[in-house]
Amino acid sequence: MQLHGWEAVLFYVLAFMTLIMGVFVVTARFAVHSALFLIAALVNVALLFILLRAEFVAGVQILVYVGGVMVLFLFVIMLVQTRAEEEARVKLYTGQTWPAVLLALFLAISFYFAMSPAQQAFRPLDAAAAQIADRGEASASGSGFISKDTQNVGEALYRQAALPFEIASLLLLVALVGAVLLARGSKQEKLYE
Amino acid sequence: MTREGSRLSLRKIVSIGTPIILLIVVGLIVRRWLATDPQFFNRFEPTLVNFMMLSFLLFVVGVAGVLSRRNIIIIFMSIELILNAVNINLIAFSRYLQINQATLEAKPGLLVNPISGPVFTIFIIVVAAAEAAVGLGIVISMFRNRETVAVDEIDLLKW
Repeated sequence: MQLHGWEAVLFYVLAFMTLIMGVFVVTARFAVHSALFLIAALVNVALLFILLRAEFVAGVQILVYVGGVMVLFLFVIMLVQTRAEEEARVKLYTGQTWPAVLLALFLAISFYFAMSPAQQAFRPLDAAAAQIADRGEASASGSGFISKDTQNVGEALYRQAALPFEIASLLLLVALVGAVLLARGSKQEKLYE
Repeated sequence: MTREGSRLSLRKIVSIGTPIILLIVVGLIVRRWLATDPQFFNRFEPTLVNFMMLSFLLFVVGVAGVLSRRNIIIIFMSIELILNAVNINLIAFSRYLQINQATLEAKPGLLVNPISGPVFTIFIIVVAAAEAAVGLGIVISMFRNRETVAVDEIDLLKW
């Protein structure tokens, strides 16, 4: 699975941007800034998915994760917002910041040294594999390459993974009822009685 | 003259200068690649290991965020970073299996299923959305009772 040429450059740019945005999410002072940096990181991850020819998951990530979950985060940040002057002076980190950061750095460095000998092992296993560009088939009118990823994922979701699909819909129903129940205040409960 | 939060800080310089520096560096690299030996940069071409490294580094950033911030909403956002790192890993392996499917299936005893990557990723996204909804409902009702979102001020059950 070796990326050539511009895809290689794009991978490094996207990877660097994702990591930088991730670090900014963790270290921002205001919660709204953190949410916006997370939106940028999620969009970068969706671009990485497109680079890996998984366009359906990239679309789902933008629609559901960025368009649903992050908007929900922003609403809740607005609801629990403390005043800007207080927020500019509040203590940001718990007392265990330095052990957490040192552990994270140690893990990252050790993983790098552990995995760099394996760099050669994941090159394409043979010449035939190196030639594969998964572009699907051209349509009848010759309009170019149409990827079959969405079709394959849809077939898998409704055939092999039909049971987890139905369970996921039940999970979403439970989450919906639970969220409404948790967020309804006692004033509103009395209103309905 | 300057409002709160609009000071020229190091983060602002980094976040504006980084794309510019990236573009300049990438342009110089590509220009040198085209001019001299075109085979030189082949050893920097990313393979599966590079995607695993990106996934791991993002995971580690998320874990550091979960362990070290006081605001519960930032902790939730770090958990979303962790889940995205896992998603990158799954999709990268799925692409690797897709490319090498013929070679790997020829080996005895290996079962190759490249479609399981995107399918499992979709379920991770669904579960993350459900968990975010319920978790933020808990945060709202907690904020109603205690007027705070800092995790070390929710200490009613401490000894």
